Amino acid sequence: MSLSIFNARLLDPATGLDTTGAIFADKGRIREISQGRTTAHAEAKVAIDAGGLCLAPGLVDLRVKTGEPGDEQKETLATASRSAVAGGITSFVVMPDTKPVIDDVALVRFIAERAKVSAATRIYPAGALTTGLRGEAMAEIGLMADAGAVVFTNGDQPVGNASLLKRAMTYAASRGATIMSRPDERALAGSGVMNSGALAARMGLSGIPVEAEWIGAMRDTALAEATGCTLILDQVSTPRTLDIAAAARDRGAKVFTMAAAHSLFFNERDVGDYLTYCKVNPPFRTEETRQGLIAALKRGEIDAVVSAHDPQPPEEKRLPYGEAAFGAAGLETVLPALLSLVHDGPLSLLEALAPVTCRPADMLGLPQGRLAEKALADLILFDPDKPWLCERENLRSRSTNSPFDGRRLQGRVLRTFVGGEEVFAHESLA
Amino acid sequence: MARAAYHHSFEHEHLLSIEGLSPLDISLILDLADNYAEATRAGRRPDPVLSGTTVVNLFFENSTRTMSSFEIAARRLGADVVSMPVAASSVKKGETLVDTAMTLNAMKPDVLVVRHSASGGPKLLSRKVDCAVVNAGDGTHEHPTQGLLDTLTIRRNKGRVEGLKVVICGDIAHSRVARSTTLALHLLGAEVHLCAPRTLLPSGTETWGAASATTDFDKALNGADVVMMLRLQLERMDGAYLPSRREYFRYFGLTGERLALAKPDAIVMHPGPMNRGIEIESAIAEGDRSVITEQVEMGVAVREAVLHLLAGGAT
Repeated sequence: MSLSIFNARLLDPATGLDTTGAIFADKGRIREISQGRTTAHAEAKVAIDAGGLCLAPGLVDLRVKTGEPGDEQKETLATASRSAVAGGITSFVVMPDTKPVIDDVALVRFIAERAKVSAATRIYPAGALTTGLRGEAMAEIGLMADAGAVVFTNGDQPVGNASLLKRAMTYAASRGATIMSRPDERALAGSGVMNSGALAARMGLSGIPVEAEWIGAMRDTALAEATGCTLILDQVSTPRTLDIAAAARDRGAKVFTMAAAHSLFFNERDVGDYLTYCKVNPPFRTEETRQGLIAALKRGEIDAVVSAHDPQPPEEKRLPYGEAAFGAAGLETVLPALLSLVHDGPLSLLEALAPVTCRPADMLGLPQGRLAEKALADLILFDPDKPWLCERENLRSRSTNSPFDGRRLQGRVLRTFVGGEEVFAHESLA
Repeated sequence: MARAAYHHSFEHEHLLSIEGLSPLDISLILDLADNYAEATRAGRRPDPVLSGTTVVNLFFENSTRTMSSFEIAARRLGADVVSMPVAASSVKKGETLVDTAMTLNAMKPDVLVVRHSASGGPKLLSRKVDCAVVNAGDGTHEHPTQGLLDTLTIRRNKGRVEGLKVVICGDIAHSRVARSTTLALHLLGAEVHLCAPRTLLPSGTETWGAASATTDFDKALNGADVVMMLRLQLERMDGAYLPSRREYFRYFGLTGERLALAKPDAIVMHPGPMNRGIEIESAIAEGDRSVITEQVEMGVAVREAVLHLLAGGAT
């Protein structure tokens, strides 16, 4: 079906385009970008007057957990995708920590198949780096890559054995596979539940020190450098971790970094009265650290911003802080979190969009994330200014453990298109 | 001659922490507790202000001492008391803190006294129930009635709290007593110095109101009015946080020689239970400077006052 969206503010972070115009899409791809055009393309079956609002590539999210297979009561690929499109995400990578773990070809195919029949978005499976995520033996990286796994990771349980990780990186490099690893020295992070420091001490909670992340990053980047493997440092939470990545890159290592959107929005004080929705790993850090991350994002030092969507049902969160599960639902709040940095001043719209569109797509060699002729017609139309109150019960994911619950946000997605088909329209348009 | 009357009412629904109380709140509790202590000493039975109310002791961690103290306090004021050492019962069946709280809440108690191994546990519970909640110790966070009874014991022995030099020595990092007592004493104007091996001395103790944090016990003791020793969990002593028990006793044990560094009339305190010969010499614990048994006595008085203020109507 052909589609014309006109009188829009066209935003393409890949080229820096920011101008009024129109796009014409047909057969799933963008066919024409008409700068300055404020009228519909006559040949289009569907024509939408954007009224001057923003038209950008759909978001590409490199880190999403669902409960499918095994924990469908938390989230399925379908429910996650419905939440995703409401947040402007049109493609996402699902993590392998499910039951069973996505550690063989059949399971990679299962995810791809389930996504195709049930989900509103494009979904890409990540394969387990080690069998059963046990960190003992490497999984079938080559075969899973051939079956469609776009990246390999041990998810929330980074490989502790450096020797195994080095061999897995060596092997992955030879297959051209990318490894995603969360920098984390387990022995040091221990049983910590929030950012280490004076606040944790006063609240009587055990801390996760920043050194645990730094040591993990030093180890992982050293191994990436030694093996030539492409490495994505998962959920970086401090600027110094980015420095460690940059130093490795300067020596020729292929290292990328990504940060969770919530780590750009919250600091450790938001844990407040032991609010378990704010219990995530890595934890919310100090305000100074958060500001450092924002400055690094502004300088382009964070390659991707992700939702780190981790649905947890009430029974996992309605517990004393120390006992509650880590994880935050995040698919619908990535864009508003980034837009808050635009409204508060530090970022331009294009700077806010690049780490959720073209840059993550490039990291995995995916074609999406751009507004260009022949590109996939994965598009979002959004109002960057629209204020709204984030309320848990209105979120669309099956688990609504969002730290943004009760927050006033600004900027909402109004329409989302995948392959030129509308998959979401905000209720205000009905 | 009568004291000038002033009116300050206790406006808190729960007692979850010392943090959040004002100096006036604390004075109000201590004054009332003082009255209860005197009544008990004089053999007088206090007015049954809790008559017709139900107090439930919900202890997810074993503690005979604290649970008995709350139980005696509640009974003295005429409450019906149910004590549930939950550590042994429903939790093993997989019931969560919130489930247990909701179940008990449906039985309409007036006060829930809660001890839990997780910091913030009683706070979570207070959001889910309709009655008053008293924190009887949560993880390594706070133990507010202990902070109050320590402060009362000091006030009774020294006639004041303001301007006193108090040294608290031991496992500061894992002590909910250290947090509550430091906060309470600071609010009433005492100068609190915390002392511990570096590995058990967290950063940011100034936000609790501590005047200093040091590893030099001898230096800290100089001119002290009050010396409070904390219990050191035995499992923390054997290599994990510090090298050995004897090394700990050498630098941080309270001996007669060390106590001589404090003021001649300095009092010695300990929240119990004690590791004699590890953090404190037996002779000191039982010596004439020790007010350790008075702390236990004041524990009941403070808990009477707290229960009265939360469930017994106007004072």
